[in-house]
Amino acid sequence: MKGSVIKYEKDNIDTDVILPGPYLKIHDYDELAKHAMEGIDKDFHKKVKPGDFLVAGKNFGCGSSREHAPIALSYSGVKAVLALSFARIFYRNAVDGAFLLPIEIEESTYKDISEGDQLEIETSENKIRNITKNTIYEIKPFPELIGKIIAAGGLFNYKS
Amino acid sequence: MAKTLFEKIWDSHVVEEGNGRSLLYIDRHLVHEVTSPQAFDGLRMNKRNIRRTDLTFATMDHNVPTSDRSLPILDQTSEVQIKTLERNCKEFGVKLFDINSPDQGIVHVIGPELGITLPGTTIVCGDSHTSTHGAFGAFAFGIGTSDVEHVLATQCIWMEKPRTFEIRVEGKRKNIHAITAKDIILSIIRKIGTAGGTGTTFEYRGETISELSMEQRMTICNMSIEGGARAGLIAPDEKTFDYLRGRRYVPKNYEKLVEYWRENLKTDSNARFDKSFTLHVDTIAPQVSWGTNPAMTVDVTGKVPFPEEYAKGNTEEEKAATKALQYMGLKSGTLITDIEIDRVFIGSCTNSRLEDLTEAARAVKGKKVSSKVRAMIVPGSQHVKKQAEELGLDGIFKDAGFEWRESGCSMCLGMNPDILSAGERCASTSNRNFEGRQGSGGRTHLVSPVMAAVAAIQGHFVDVRDLDLN
Repeated sequence: MKGSVIKYEKDNIDTDVILPGPYLKIHDYDELAKHAMEGIDKDFHKKVKPGDFLVAGKNFGCGSSREHAPIALSYSGVKAVLALSFARIFYRNAVDGAFLLPIEIEESTYKDISEGDQLEIETSENKIRNITKNTIYEIKPFPELIGKIIAAGGLFNYKS
Repeated sequence: MAKTLFEKIWDSHVVEEGNGRSLLYIDRHLVHEVTSPQAFDGLRMNKRNIRRTDLTFATMDHNVPTSDRSLPILDQTSEVQIKTLERNCKEFGVKLFDINSPDQGIVHVIGPELGITLPGTTIVCGDSHTSTHGAFGAFAFGIGTSDVEHVLATQCIWMEKPRTFEIRVEGKRKNIHAITAKDIILSIIRKIGTAGGTGTTFEYRGETISELSMEQRMTICNMSIEGGARAGLIAPDEKTFDYLRGRRYVPKNYEKLVEYWRENLKTDSNARFDKSFTLHVDTIAPQVSWGTNPAMTVDVTGKVPFPEEYAKGNTEEEKAATKALQYMGLKSGTLITDIEIDRVFIGSCTNSRLEDLTEAARAVKGKKVSSKVRAMIVPGSQHVKKQAEELGLDGIFKDAGFEWRESGCSMCLGMNPDILSAGERCASTSNRNFEGRQGSGGRTHLVSPVMAAVAAIQGHFVDVRDLDLN
């Protein structure tokens, strides 16, 4: 899949800023999407386009277990989050609901990718191609079960 | 083979293994109004039932108003969410402690209070602070809504086995009223960082942990998630068994279970942990967070740090500290005791139990809240509220000018009307000082109940070790 990058050079982006508490009462996913990232970037919903990728630092999605966080990103059009590391509940939620791909990247990859870069993610080859910079980054394969759940389209479609 | 307590609980709950993952049986499932609606919708859509309604318990806590409960709920979206939980519980046959129940309260306060939480069990809830129940020697962890649905339908969850992380807490606190469980856990997170525990389960042990009461142990385990851990637990002992004895939902063969727990629920002496960290409490001071994550914390005797001093050469950390100071409206070098506050919140699943309120009341008795401060006490449950009222704590707080409110999560996460306005600065006994957590633009300083209570009176932070708290 192909898309362009929205980058936050920040560690510990928590689920309270990804989807602030007051919006947890909203059940309509498209409505939730309008408030994605509002805690740190009020203009996010204006700039995000379908197919975009988020790039961020360490411990992305820490804090609250709210699945509303990956849902809001997903319904904003975000297809993958590329981060140095993920908090575990966010990671699980993203995979279980097949909302977006949580991809761990290397420090050098994180530094090399810039805002607006066009990327092509090829999970089957464990590669990210930076079309803008004409570079290829290696990514670690998903753990076996995670890969299967993602391929099945979420936890409820996965049959062991 | 020698095993840690966590490994014993894990092994006794594995249903099957494969693909590097385990299917784990869940003994208790706690449900609340915010992370459950889509899960119930999913069950309905797929025509599934709840596998074990007898192991599933629900309450409403996150968005309930903490004002007069006889009045209608003003926020319509909150009311819809509350009514939805009522309808779902009725339809699926789940025991619900609703907004008017004498048992209502924060899910992590009422679980132990009602004896739903038991040693050696696995407990899940769609809330990250489920780690609280680890204080009873349970493997308890937060899950998202898809997993809530999965557990409702199957009573099981797929999981990768976390690694083990020993957190030793050693030494004697010089002043047990001034140096609290909150200061211990904030000190730990400050040292290991917010991602220090990623992929692990903490086991808190050592002399100091043994001396803590059950409520204090809950405060410690509660914030395990703030150190990045999946869960945190403490081996049960006589205090644990005494706490639970006679509570409503403990099994009838309780004493027999105690015998088993006493014998089995501990880490073998020669067991090995994957990681280890030791905190010595002899010299720790009351802690105050200055930034926008719980690791950004200093001693009350300290100063707001300079970003470069805080970051110790790490440019990302330095940037984060600079941004945090900007958000918090703080100047490096300012004495923590010179920081003036506008609001005080004593409550949340971290610090809203009877002992928290008793300790706060000790510092408040006969004094008045500063004219510049608005302060509120939000008991963790209706039972806590009632017990506190029986002890006359409500009178102490109200006479001093605190608001005495109904139970719920309240200002910890800003889902109900209890929020900070932009720029307001709050001394809060909650667990997260994230940007906007207590209200957009609100500034949170995490502290213990006694630190918050004294800050309410003085209008700024005070080293509570200097006060007579006996």
